[in-house]
Order: sequence, then structure tokens, then C-alpha cells
Amino acid sequence: MSIASMQKISIYALRKDRKPILETMQRLGVVEISDLDLNNESFEKIDTENSKQTFAKNAKVANDAIEIIDMYTQRKKESLLFLKGRKSISKDNYYTFVNETQEIMRVAYSVVNSSEDIFEEKSEITRLTLKKEALKSWVNLDISENFKGTKTTNAFIGTLPGEHTLDELLKKFSNLSDVENIIFEIISSASDQTCVFVLCKKEDSDVVEETLKNMGFAFLAQPTKSIPKDKIDRITEQVKEIEKKIKQKKELIKSYVGIKNALKFIVDYYSLRSQKYDIVSKLIHTKNVFMLTGYIKEKDSKKLESILTSKFDVAVELLEAKGDDVPISLENNGFVSPVEPVLESYSLPGKNEIDPSPIIAIFYYILFGIMLSDAAYGAITTIVCGLILLKFKNIESGFKKAVKMFLFCGISTTFWGIMFGSYFGDAIEVISETFFGTKIVIPALWFVPLNEPMRMLAFSFGIGIIHLFTGLFLKLYQLLKIKNYKDVVFDVISWYLLVGGAIIYLLSIPTMSELLTLNFKLSSSVGKIGAVCALIGAAIIIFTAGRGSKNPFKRLLKGLYSLYGITGYLSDIFSYSRLLALGLATGVIAQVFNKMGCMAGGGVLGAIVFTIVFLIGHTMNIGINLLGAYVHTNRLHFVEFFSKFYEGGGRKFSPFFVNTKYYKITEDVVDG
Amino acid sequence: MDKYGIVLALFGAVISVLLAGIGSAMGVGLCGEAAAGVVTEDPSKFGKVLLLQLLPGTQGIYGLLVAVLTLIQIGILGGSAEVSFIQGLLYFAACLPMGVVGYWSALRQARASVAGIGIVAKRPDQMGKAMIFPAMVETYALLALLTSVLAVLNIPKISL
Repeated sequence: MSIASMQKISIYALRKDRKPILETMQRLGVVEISDLDLNNESFEKIDTENSKQTFAKNAKVANDAIEIIDMYTQRKKESLLFLKGRKSISKDNYYTFVNETQEIMRVAYSVVNSSEDIFEEKSEITRLTLKKEALKSWVNLDISENFKGTKTTNAFIGTLPGEHTLDELLKKFSNLSDVENIIFEIISSASDQTCVFVLCKKEDSDVVEETLKNMGFAFLAQPTKSIPKDKIDRITEQVKEIEKKIKQKKELIKSYVGIKNALKFIVDYYSLRSQKYDIVSKLIHTKNVFMLTGYIKEKDSKKLESILTSKFDVAVELLEAKGDDVPISLENNGFVSPVEPVLESYSLPGKNEIDPSPIIAIFYYILFGIMLSDAAYGAITTIVCGLILLKFKNIESGFKKAVKMFLFCGISTTFWGIMFGSYFGDAIEVISETFFGTKIVIPALWFVPLNEPMRMLAFSFGIGIIHLFTGLFLKLYQLLKIKNYKDVVFDVISWYLLVGGAIIYLLSIPTMSELLTLNFKLSSSVGKIGAVCALIGAAIIIFTAGRGSKNPFKRLLKGLYSLYGITGYLSDIFSYSRLLALGLATGVIAQVFNKMGCMAGGGVLGAIVFTIVFLIGHTMNIGINLLGAYVHTNRLHFVEFFSKFYEGGGRKFSPFFVNTKYYKITEDVVDG
Repeated sequence: MDKYGIVLALFGAVISVLLAGIGSAMGVGLCGEAAAGVVTEDPSKFGKVLLLQLLPGTQGIYGLLVAVLTLIQIGILGGSAEVSFIQGLLYFAACLPMGVVGYWSALRQARASVAGIGIVAKRPDQMGKAMIFPAMVETYALLALLTSVLAVLNIPKISL
């Protein structure tokens, strides 16, 4: 139930055993390997950057190949993959795959290359299609494009801007000696250009050319020997050819669908090797020996030592881990560990700090429950999370923790829902009244916050005060642990006296207790004791909070400023009013949906409408309020709770382990 | 004059829904744009950015909540209650915090959310922190909600 105690481990072994030793350590996954500084000339480091990158590249190619195969076989990504987790791989399969790595990589490259080819060929098709489109307007020209004329004639093949008719064009040539001497054909005509073929006698050619030029004539660009129609046919043929090629390549890619598992293995295999080479670069070597240092949890160290010494010639040295760089690993039971990620997402415990997870767990579940506070919503959350945990044994540990956390939160929500008498809001009342004519009310075990909001507000503040005081207590505990008794009195006890005393004094004022609808009364003499305590606390703070400064005047000012921190406590306590607000939000929105549902009245139609509104409305309400409860429970811990005692700043323990994407490689397999 | 009590009260309910709803709609829209940008780069972050997009949406719901409570109290939604002019004015005032604070907090929360989406785009492992920044802003919407709800629920108890 705390921070795991760490040891510093150093391993000295023969260089020839480096590979199997590192692999053993990777499979065990218990050592965080540090980067050794090299300041001794008799040691060397090995630069593994090249091999590392080759492996990383291979892993990437295999990964791309998997994605490409998925794309062409139109397999949807398995959406619940994260629930199923990674499959284990047997020793036999492992070696089968390892023996075939070259072959599998060849396939991977072939898939990736084919996909690139397909991409290029597709753009080639686009280019050809464009060309074909341009040629279409020349399809009626039944002679070669570069036909210049015969012995006695000259030919002009080209385009005129705009749309023209034959008659209109012929009129332009009225200055010719004989219109009969010219052959004028319109190949095609469109709004932007007219394609024409003109044949005239050689002696007329200058005049004709002049006339045409004046009209904006342009020769056909890049004419070839062939007839346009043949050209078009040829392009069509080409496109068909390429399409066939694409189809073949697609088939090729699809045919590899069976090899996907092998590719997944390759991704893991090469990323593992890449990780391993990363570690190798952190070691230092002499000619025959290598050395590594790192951190290990104390409980794992004996096991690692015995495994290594039984297999190899190694010297293992274990020392007490000291200093600021020691990584943090939290160890808690199944009830507490689900909230570890919450703590982690703030910061891990720093120097001299305890692991507050157990306390967080208790308050987290309670606060979450009060915010969601509906028995039915809680039950649904509990059942869904329970089913996930039962059905998917193999889920990844991080996700499993989240599911577990919501399971406990769900149980707490159910509890508070029963206390406050909320089941899908007031669904039971509404259903019984609308459809069965009699109003059934399940009374709240404690009270209904909507009817007594002030009482709920007082309760929220109460929870808040307990939460904050627990935080302060943890500070006290931490200070006692490092035997800093002075700070215990000046920084903790003083605040307990001030805040606690002030609260007692306030509660003893009759109007205050009436306002908060408290069912107990504090006599005025108790109030006086509270007031005295508060004054003592305030005095301690004023005279000691500035004890860091030598100057007495400055010291007093600092003390007074610290006293101003009381406003922080005030706003912290008020911040817990969100327990009421979020609880009301859940309840009232649920009621709104119930009301909307029963607007169609009783009967069959009413029942159908009600069911639809009920399902949609409550699904939405659960979703939005789960999010709200999660975010605000986090906030109450991060801001209100942690500010009392917790700074964090620890570094996470990240051991060298088998970090794979697709397979769990658990068996003791050894290879290069 | 007493006839106008219920009109004033309804105005209050409407303002609460209108302002808070508009604020939320604008806020969620703003975050949606940012979220869509992230998803074009990396579709696998959809779930995470969707949660961040949702955060400024709660004000609209709180607005609705206050409005519905008011409608129930003044007898428009079931039951029949006499609403005097003064009471109508009180309901109107009671609805204002949720409407006004809801509007502005949704917009500001949306900007914090957009920044959070930026965090998720670069460092998806910092999702927890990215959600806390917008949640800080939401506190004030919750306080407004609390004020409005407490006021609306307690107005009939005042003898005027």
C-alpha cells in the first residue's frame, strides 16, 4: 500500500552473454536501465543508431503493409480490440515466424511497393484520360495529324477560337480567286473552339494562311503521324492495360490477407529488437565485459539475481537506492490501484511524500457517487463495468484500471442513489402514475436533495471539511515522518485550530444552524471554545508563518498575509457545493426526460413514446453526468485536496520490458 | 398587475435557456472545429477530443434545468400555482445568474477546451490534465446553477 522500495542494481557480465542476458531482462520487465555516463577511457559505448533505425524501419514497413491489406480487403478495424487485448504467442509459432522473417519482410515490401505502384498507375490513368478528352474533338479527322498537303496543295490543321459555322467561315475567303479552290471542313465545333481542316492550292496558301491567322488560327500542337482516332483507340487500350495491372496488384495485395498475423508478429519482433538496441547503447563495455546499472523493485531483485546467476556468469550488485533520481512505482491492492492513474495524471509522489492513493480511493468513490447519485445509473455503470471485467480477461492493464475505477464508482453511486431515493430520477413514480394509475414512491433512505437543498448543501460542506482536514492530516503525517515537529505545530495544528474553531463558532450561531437545517445544536459555550481555538490558531499563524525571515517586522507582515489564506479555506469548502449542483443536475434532467416521456399519456402509444424518450434521454443523461462527475471529482482532488499536502514531482518507474502492439511474448524465447 | 407575474417568470426561464444554450452551442461549435482538425491528422484521437468538445455543453443543460424547475414552480408544467407580480419578478431575477454566467462561462470554457484539444493533439497521454483546465471554468457555471436553483426552489416559501 505504498511506494515500492527501490534498489540500485549493477550487473557485470561477459560480452558474449549480452544478448541472452538483455533478453531475459526484457522478458522479466523488472529493471529500469539507466544511461551510464562514460568518463573513463577504458570503457567504450556502442553506437547502435544504425541497427536501431533499420529495425524501426522494418517494423514501420510491416505496419504499413497491414494497413494497406486492411484497406484493400475493406476489413473494418476491430472496434473492441482494446477490450480483447493482445494474444499470446506460443513458443513454436514464435520460432516458425522468426525463421520466416526474410520471407515475411519480402511480402511486406511487395505489398508496400504494389500499393505505391497502384498509386502511380492511377495518376497515369488520369493523365491519359485527360489526353484522350483533348483528342476527342479531333476524332473525325481521318488523316494523319501532321499532313501538310500534297504536291499542289497545302493543308492547315488547327483550331479557331469560338464557335463557327461553315458558311460563316467560307465567307471570309471571298477575296480568294475561286472559292471552289478551297476545301474547308469543320472537324468539330464547341463554344470555346472550332477544329478545322483547310486544304487549298499552293498558290493560294499565303492568302489563306493570312486570313486564318487574322481569325486567330493556331496549328495543332505537337502533331504526330497517326490518325487521331487510332490514337484514341491506343490510349483506351493503354488504360485498359494499366487497369488490368492495377487489378492484378490489388489481387496480389488481397492474396496476402492470410499473412497478416505474420506481419503483426514482424511489427512486434522488430520493434522489440529496436528497443533492445536502444538499451545496448546505454551500456558500457570493455573488450570482454559489459556493465549496466539501473533500478529494480526490492521484491524483484532476488528473483532476477537468481535467474541471472543460474544461467550466466554474472556479478549482480544491489545497493540501496538514494537520491532524487529514484523512480517511483506505486503498489496498492485492487481497491486502491484503480485511482493510481488519477494521482499519476497529477504527479507522482516526490521526495519525502507518501503515496496518498488509499485515501484518494475512499474519497474518490464517495464523491463520485454523490455527484452522480442515481441508483439506476449506478447499477448500470456497475453492471457494464462488471461484464467487461468478466468477459474480457485479457484487457490491457491501464484500461482495466479505468474500468475497475468506474465499477467502484458505480457501486458508490448506487448506494447514494438509494440514500437519496433516485431511480432514473423519479421514473418509478411517473411510470406507476401514468400507466397504472397508482403512484408508487420508493422513499429515500435518507432524504431527497431536491426537496431539501439546504440540507444537502450543508452535507456537501461537511464532506468537504472532512476531505480537506484529511488532506491536512496527511501533511501532518508527512511532517512527523521526517520528524519536523516545529512545522507540525506551526503549519498544521494552527490551521486545524483556526478553521475548525471558526467552523464550530459559526455553527453555534442559531441563524447559521437554522439556515443549514442542522439537526443538532451547539450551545453558545461550545461556540466560545471554538472562537478561542480559532484565535489561538490565528495567533500562531501570525507569529510563526513568517519564520523564514529574520526581520521581525517583515515576519509579522508575512504572518498576516498567511492568515489571509483563510479565504482559501473558505473557497475550498464552498467548492464542494458542486456535489449538490451536479447531483441536482442528474436528478432534474432525469425528471425532465421522464416528464417529456409521459406527455403522450397512458395506453400503448403512450408506452411506446415513453420507452423511446426514456431510452434516448437517460442514455444521454448517464453519459454527460458520468463525464461531469469524473471531471469534477478529479478537480476536487487536484485543486482542493492536493493543495493541502501534496506537491508531487516523482519520476515514473519505466522498466525495460516487452513492449509490443499485437502479441504477448511471455514464453522464454531467445533469439537475435 | 398580478396577471403579469407568470409572464415575467416565463421570461426568466426563457432567458436562462436562451443565453446558456447559445453560449453552449457556440462553445461546442468552437471546440468541434478544433477537434475536427485533430481528427484529420489522427482519427484515433476521436474519442478523446469528443469528450473535450462536450465540456462546454453542460451550461446549456444547466440552463434547461433551471428553466424546467421554474416552469414546474409556476404551474406551466403540471399543477397550477398562483404567481403574483412580485413572485414573477423574483423568478425572473432567480433565472438571471444561470443565463448570464452560463453564456460567458461556456464561451470561456470553450477556449480552454480548445487549448486542451491542442494538448491532446500533441500529447494524448496528458488527457487528464487537458480536461481539468476547462473544468476549472465550469465551477462558476455550477455556482450560478446553484444560486438559480436554490432561489427558484425557495421562492414559493416566501410569503409576500
